[in-house]
Amino acid sequence: MSNIAGKAYAMNVITPVRPYLVWVNKVIFWAALKLPSTLKGLITLSLIHYARWVIIGKNQFPHLAPEQPKEDLSYCYMLFFSNFNGSWDQYVDSFTFAIPSGLDMFWKWNIRYPKSVALTPFHKYIQYNQIETLHYYNGYPLATSNDVKSASAVRDALIAFDQTADQGTDAEFIKRYHTLLRGLQHDLGDMYPTPIVSMAAYQVEKRTRWHASQLSALTADRVQQS
Amino acid sequence: MIVTKELDLLDIQGNVLRVYGRFRYPVARYVFLNLRDSAKGRAFVGAVTGRVTTSANWGPGPDQVPQPDWTVNIAFTYQGLKELELPRTSLIGFSPEFVAGMKGRKDILGDDGPSSPQYWDPIWRENRETREQDVHVFISLNAHTKGLLEDGYAWLKGVIEATQGGVVLLSGHLGDNHAVMDYQDGQAVMENGQPSAKEHFGYTDGIGDPVFEGLPRGSASVLGRGKQMADGSWAPLAVGEFLLGHIDEAQEYPPAPNPILLSRNGTYMVYRKLHENVGTFNAYLDEHAKHFPGGKELLAAKFVGRWRDNGAPLVKAPDQASKAAFDAQLAAADPQGQDALLSSFTYDDDMSGGRCPFSAHIRRINPRASLEFTRDPTDVPGSLKVSKDAFDTPGALTNRRRILRRGLPYGEVKDPTRDDGNHGIIIMILNVDINRQFEFVQQQWINYGNDFKAANDKEILLGNHSADERFASKAVIQVDPNGDDPPYFLSKIPRLVETRGGDYFFVPSMTALRMIAKGLVDPT
Amino acid sequence: MTNISGNAYALTILSPIRTGVVKGEEIEYADKVRDLLESWNLLPNSPMTQVPQTYLCRFFVLDDVYTESLPGASVMDTFADVLPVVPDGVRRRILPKEDRLKSRYLVFSSNFYGGPQGDVDGYLRGMWNAIGEHIKDLWGYCYGFDQVRDAATFVSYMKKCQLPVTLFFVGANDEPLPAQLKALYLKQEFARFAVANQGLEAAVLRANYQAFIARVAPTNLSGPTWEPGQYRL
Repeated sequence: MSNIAGKAYAMNVITPVRPYLVWVNKVIFWAALKLPSTLKGLITLSLIHYARWVIIGKNQFPHLAPEQPKEDLSYCYMLFFSNFNGSWDQYVDSFTFAIPSGLDMFWKWNIRYPKSVALTPFHKYIQYNQIETLHYYNGYPLATSNDVKSASAVRDALIAFDQTADQGTDAEFIKRYHTLLRGLQHDLGDMYPTPIVSMAAYQVEKRTRWHASQLSALTADRVQQS
Repeated sequence: MIVTKELDLLDIQGNVLRVYGRFRYPVARYVFLNLRDSAKGRAFVGAVTGRVTTSANWGPGPDQVPQPDWTVNIAFTYQGLKELELPRTSLIGFSPEFVAGMKGRKDILGDDGPSSPQYWDPIWRENRETREQDVHVFISLNAHTKGLLEDGYAWLKGVIEATQGGVVLLSGHLGDNHAVMDYQDGQAVMENGQPSAKEHFGYTDGIGDPVFEGLPRGSASVLGRGKQMADGSWAPLAVGEFLLGHIDEAQEYPPAPNPILLSRNGTYMVYRKLHENVGTFNAYLDEHAKHFPGGKELLAAKFVGRWRDNGAPLVKAPDQASKAAFDAQLAAADPQGQDALLSSFTYDDDMSGGRCPFSAHIRRINPRASLEFTRDPTDVPGSLKVSKDAFDTPGALTNRRRILRRGLPYGEVKDPTRDDGNHGIIIMILNVDINRQFEFVQQQWINYGNDFKAANDKEILLGNHSADERFASKAVIQVDPNGDDPPYFLSKIPRLVETRGGDYFFVPSMTALRMIAKGLVDPT
Repeated sequence: MTNISGNAYALTILSPIRTGVVKGEEIEYADKVRDLLESWNLLPNSPMTQVPQTYLCRFFVLDDVYTESLPGASVMDTFADVLPVVPDGVRRRILPKEDRLKSRYLVFSSNFYGGPQGDVDGYLRGMWNAIGEHIKDLWGYCYGFDQVRDAATFVSYMKKCQLPVTLFFVGANDEPLPAQLKALYLKQEFARFAVANQGLEAAVLRANYQAFIARVAPTNLSGPTWEPGQYRL
């Protein structure tokens, strides 16, 4: 299994919903889509690349061939997929601290959802209903959601700046250049490999192969010096 | 502030609630022991417990106890509790990171390069390798004077000797000229013959310790030290963030071992010896001071978010002129007023970091409500603003990451141009959940910057900066987005602070100590 | 269409896995699929690096549905708190039922650049063309996949397995992947340029800047840039 790819963590949670309440849940999601202010907390947290909720009706599990047995279920199911930055604890905790009522609004239609405060019952609920990812691919493992957004800002500002780079005196150039830097003063963080959040053997080996090998030469130098 | 909760002061060890340095104890000695015999070990714990300093009110009153000349406190590693024969059912209730210990968590803590365990002091290097060298027990002695400290140490050695080899003192602390010592000494840095609140880089330390419910002496100091509420007021944090067996900020009891009498009023302690590379620090500061527009002291203040001489926060005193006005106010204020001047502020008027940079020490250790922030494309580029009411409470991302900080500097700077002297700080961090509080701050806020929209940029002073060019550390000293200056870049930040050892400890309540000593801990 | 947010597309695939045992291996089809996916983790990088426009995607096997719940979180429990008597039988009768799935499902969830129209056909064709053999390895154990012969039949098969998204939240951005990767490259390079050239005289800075722009070519998406799935610097 591999819930982690670079700076992103893949979470999958499946929870039952009473069929007669599915429409309420859908209305809530529809409202969230129409009123962006409902997602303000999520946007401010800025820990998510992409997330989705999929509600599967009790008769909507894909049926592909006559020989496939038909599902016979009592409940509908809500699947939640998230691609977030940080560890499981960090993400779940940040969400419950910051936007507990938002979480409850999305999930309280799920059977016996314990609510997001107190924390431990919520943790357990997520843990028991979480499905581990077997293979997770990330197109930009060195970047967080923040980095992807600030990268766009850097590119746009740089291309705009470059339009006038040949104009005026050197003194005018440097004044514009300083304005460029000032405008990007929250966008120029360096992107290096993620801090270690997992001690699983596979992750440790991956670090050794892909990241730490670059640092080990340095440590060896120090040993020799001392 | 209304006191909504009374704490059992006589059940809580004194180092949990008190910063001893503030009570005329400028010297300390930290001693680490190995238990060779469980029964004798328990007898030892019993003998020490009788002298352990509690959080009782000191004074002549009817419910008060006299202030001791020297204090004693005790704590245990996981191995220590095992040697004391706590039942397995109790042991499995301790947190995984406590069981693993600091060395086992080095990857999480970023203790790499020169901070790797292979470079730690011998006692910490050899800890958790063999049964005979394992650190089991921590004892701290704090005293008014060096002479009184020796009195306390003589007492302790007597108690150890009485165990007839059942308890062994572990040597292996590096002191002056690499001498191998039986103990780790700490003492306040002296200024004009008086103990000061400075550490070896010259910063005033120990301001703004968190305030939580029921603190007997915290009534006036909640401003800037508790949690920031939506209306701008301050409230004390929940007790359960700092003491087990009490309700925490998530309105539940934090995970703790059984039985409840073992954990209630206890807490976890992180002991960490941090060497300060004074020569490198001074050289780096001098080099950049040549180019930094505001001069050397302002640059030094930008590293931390406070001016070195008196701890004036940059948020309130962003330049020389405002600093002068602040100094005058500080000089005129009474102690309570001084505390408020130093601690009571928010980042609401500094959301872009033009005053206190995002990588400055205090903004990283305790961001207050400043993580409830966002970028508005219609604003001046380079500015960020409060994302009002986005979160349940403004400090939502901070209130569960607070830590109590205790400790003292050690050693002395004899040559400020060199790194290899014996100088640094012993820091002791108290919290109920090492993973959620201390380790999170260390990993996510000190050694990483994503929560501050700074990618991998680290905290300037404590960050585990790499010497490898490909992973060179930098920090952005932000400017006022409406001004004309460019931001200043601190490039190739060297490793200013190196870990020299430490471990995770459990600080039991007095009740638990008595039970441990008698072998009566029983979750059945 | 809620599968689309701006130019980003949320593809959700649940493909039922046939019941049966792999010949000569004493392993069920679903477990074989799981094992194959696990082995992708041991490759130098994911096969998905070759599938154009993939931001982030994941695979897992859904063995069953879960109904973990708190016994104290029902309406009747609340009634029981405030009413003098609520018969225990009433409370117990409404405990959650246990659902069981009859098939296990291969779940594939991808976030990709689909353009304003959500070009899922184009994405799936690109996937087939890039990693067709891997697709056959995995999906070969699923019901109905025997109808798949080429890109077109793969697209129609996948659409039968697709579930509509109820809410899709894009927290990063919805630019084409090559544009995002180029922007990340530029961010990293420009930060280094700014640090290395701090405090230089205007004329020198300007000359260095021009050399920098010539090197990084900000509008050229083909290079220099970051590779999809690049772990190393």
